[in-house]
Amino acid sequence: MKQAAANPDLSKFLVIGALLFIIGVAGVLTRRNIIVIFMSIELILNAANLNFIAFSRYLSGMGNSNALAGQIFTVFVIVVAAAEAAIGLGIVIALYRNKETIWVDEIDLLKW
Amino acid sequence: MQKYIWLVPLLPLIGAAINGLLGRKLRFSEPLIGSIAVGSIILSFLISVAAVYSYGFGGHPEWPKPYVTSQDGFSFSWIPGGMVSVNQGLSEKASIEANKNAEEQLAAMTPEERSQHPAIIAGAGASPRFALLNIEWSYQLDPLSSIFMLIVTGVGLCIFVFATGYMHGETGFYRFFAYMGLFMFAMLVLVMGSNFLMMFVGWEGVGLCSYLLIGYYFDRQEAANASRKAFITNRVGDFGFALAIFGIIATFGSAQYVDVFEQAKSYPIELLGHWGILSWIALGLFIGACGKSAQLPLHVWLPDAMAGPTPVSALIHAATMVTAGLYMVTRTNVIFQHSQTMLLVVALVGAATAIFAATIGITQNDIKKVLAYSTVSQLGFMFMACGVGAFVIGIFHVMTHAFFKALMFLGAGSVIHGMHHEQDMRRMGGLKKYMPYTYWTFMAGWLAICGIIPFSGFWSKDEILWNAASTTHIPLGWLVWLVGTIAATCTAFYMTRLMAMTFWGRERFLEAPAGGEADEAHAAAYDKGLAQHDATYPAAGDRPRHEPGEHVGPVHEDVSHHGVHMPHESPPSMWIPLAVLAVLATIGGLIGIGPAFRTWTGTPHPGGHMNISNWLAPIIWNPVTREFNTPEGGHEAAPAETAAPVNEAAAEGGHGSAAAVYGDTGFNLAHTVEGATHSPLATEWIFILISLVVAGIGMLLGGLFYVWRPALAGIWSQRLRPLYVASYNKYWVDEFYGWAVTRRTMDLARAVYRFDSRIVDGIVNGLAWLSRLFSRIVGAFDKYFVDGLVNTIAAFIMRLMSPLFRAAQTGFTQNYALVMVLGLIVAVAVFFARDILAVFQR
Repeated sequence: MKQAAANPDLSKFLVIGALLFIIGVAGVLTRRNIIVIFMSIELILNAANLNFIAFSRYLSGMGNSNALAGQIFTVFVIVVAAAEAAIGLGIVIALYRNKETIWVDEIDLLKW
Repeated sequence: MQKYIWLVPLLPLIGAAINGLLGRKLRFSEPLIGSIAVGSIILSFLISVAAVYSYGFGGHPEWPKPYVTSQDGFSFSWIPGGMVSVNQGLSEKASIEANKNAEEQLAAMTPEERSQHPAIIAGAGASPRFALLNIEWSYQLDPLSSIFMLIVTGVGLCIFVFATGYMHGETGFYRFFAYMGLFMFAMLVLVMGSNFLMMFVGWEGVGLCSYLLIGYYFDRQEAANASRKAFITNRVGDFGFALAIFGIIATFGSAQYVDVFEQAKSYPIELLGHWGILSWIALGLFIGACGKSAQLPLHVWLPDAMAGPTPVSALIHAATMVTAGLYMVTRTNVIFQHSQTMLLVVALVGAATAIFAATIGITQNDIKKVLAYSTVSQLGFMFMACGVGAFVIGIFHVMTHAFFKALMFLGAGSVIHGMHHEQDMRRMGGLKKYMPYTYWTFMAGWLAICGIIPFSGFWSKDEILWNAASTTHIPLGWLVWLVGTIAATCTAFYMTRLMAMTFWGRERFLEAPAGGEADEAHAAAYDKGLAQHDATYPAAGDRPRHEPGEHVGPVHEDVSHHGVHMPHESPPSMWIPLAVLAVLATIGGLIGIGPAFRTWTGTPHPGGHMNISNWLAPIIWNPVTREFNTPEGGHEAAPAETAAPVNEAAAEGGHGSAAAVYGDTGFNLAHTVEGATHSPLATEWIFILISLVVAGIGMLLGGLFYVWRPALAGIWSQRLRPLYVASYNKYWVDEFYGWAVTRRTMDLARAVYRFDSRIVDGIVNGLAWLSRLFSRIVGAFDKYFVDGLVNTIAAFIMRLMSPLFRAAQTGFTQNYALVMVLGLIVAVAVFFARDILAVFQR
């Protein structure tokens, strides 16, 4: 009973997480604006965060004493995402100063 | 005392080392160098005298056996040769006998003794035998080495003292005395060594020092050439000597004198024409002796050796080193007396050399050249004595010759010094007045070499001629006597000529200024003192400063009107040695008063040990008794036929003694004369009178030609022009050698060079050309085929593949991201394949 009471929500969380992930990936792959790509990356990270939270709750419902680790991870991921966003936006500004564009199909220096 | 004889060679070596190694660096003064050198020789001389005295006269138990220092523990195992097989020259019988002896000896020995003993036959019973060869470094004191020790150190001492005066002012003063000391060491090793290899070491050592000292003025071409000539000519002789030593070791299994002679005693005597092993050994030894003692045909180096300083000529090329050949022949008289052929060869070579050199000496003008040819001639006399079996007399003549010839060489040095380095006798004359000490001492040497009784030369030369006439060792003794007598006449003639041209007659140096301007200037510079020389040529270094022929640089303006140089007497350091040697040259012969004087002395060999015949008898082998002679007393005690030395057996009337061994030797002059006079004593006196008369004739002729009727010399040299020219040009021997040996060697060298440059180099160059050709082919193959292949493949890959790979790299970030996502999908698919399949199957 206890298991049944705790379980019903998990698959829904997972589905929403998977949708968020797929939207994020699609955004990364298809959008040309680098800012939008960043936002899509945020979506991917948040999909992962959602999974962490969902499993944390699910496992604590199961009586697992380590279940809080998932929530701590989420905090870490948010911190890393913030740092990444800061650096990434810095790079974007530097790029814009040099090339006057933030469209990734015009930034093809990797070919060299 | 004889325990300490190892100091005798060592002291001069130490002196030489101090002078040679430190003299230049520490700038030793001349007195210091001189006293180190002379002091070491004085000590050596005193030790020698003490050792010889205690050995021969001090009631030494060893006398007359050889004393080897290894008896007192002074001995080093120098060349531990190990086992050698000894199979040469042994007849079957001797071999069997030796094996039997060896077995007995071995049986009587403990193993320790066996390993210590140098030459005990170890392989007993087997043929070939084996000997344990162990060459030791030890010195031997016996009658022969005693005499040589005393001659070398004694005469050497006089010459060293003389040299301190003569060499005064030379920059190479230290070098001179270092070489001289080294020479003394080598010479003493030569005469004092106890085996043949030590003799060889000394032999080569004196050769080296001779080379160094002849070339002392190494910046003069003539001296440098002469030193090389001496060295190379000696190599020819040393080759024979070395072969003889090998032969001795192969035959006797030992190089120790005592062992070798003990075995050689029992060998059969090889008569004329029979070439046994001992004849071959003797031949090798004699070739060595010819080289060192300047006998025909290897005499050419000695006259040229006069390019060295005069004390060197006196010490090395008159008194000591050149007599090493005599020492060796006498030392090995056992071997020589075993070969009648070699005795004859020795006698004939000696006689030929004596007359050959004496006739050359007549026409030479350089005072030292005359003395040099005189030395060659006198060495011929000594070999003559050895050849006719009178080894003792040969050594006697070595000794007297060392006295009078060293005296005359030093006298010549004094003259040269006094004449400011003039050697040409044509520019001398009348020196009696200017150099009285030199003159009177030289006079003693002159009378001695001419053979005037009672000067030393008379006793030895007369004995040589008498032994030649009366020999029963070899045939043709009469011929040897005749040649020797003629040579003695020539000797008296040319020595008188030398005396007359140098000391008597007109003072020719007043008439012809010596050697033109350069010499004049040089002599003047010398007169002003060496300081000026140094000031003129501060960087002259070791250059000789006042020898003739030296270029003395710019003529000194202020001395061009200097006038004639007056000769002057030499300082005491030079004439005192002359006086000592003059005394020796005068009375030195008295230790060998001949048997012809027995009427007055009462015995054939008066003086006991002091008589050289008695003294040397123990080292002379007697072919009749086949034992070594006994010392004095033996003559009287035993029958003359057997116990008396062979050479005197004849003199005492025992004419048949050696004949019993050597067979009939044909016409014998002394026996024929004796047959006419019926008195041995009268016969001996006839020969003495002959030698005195020919000496007198020679001197009178010399006086006639050069004192009383000086014009005669020119007239007769014109009348006998061909002979004169031949003699003046030394019979063209040098030219002949130049043509026959030097030129041929050069031709050979050129031929070898051509072979080398054409054939050998051709092969090498051809091979090089071939490999270059080959490498070019390989290079082309590499370049066109291998590289081409590689390049083709590379080009193929480049052309074909590069568009593909290039297309993959778009440079668009999202393409890479897409690939990453695809990769992620694939990874997930693979990782969860089972679960995915399970979903579909359900």
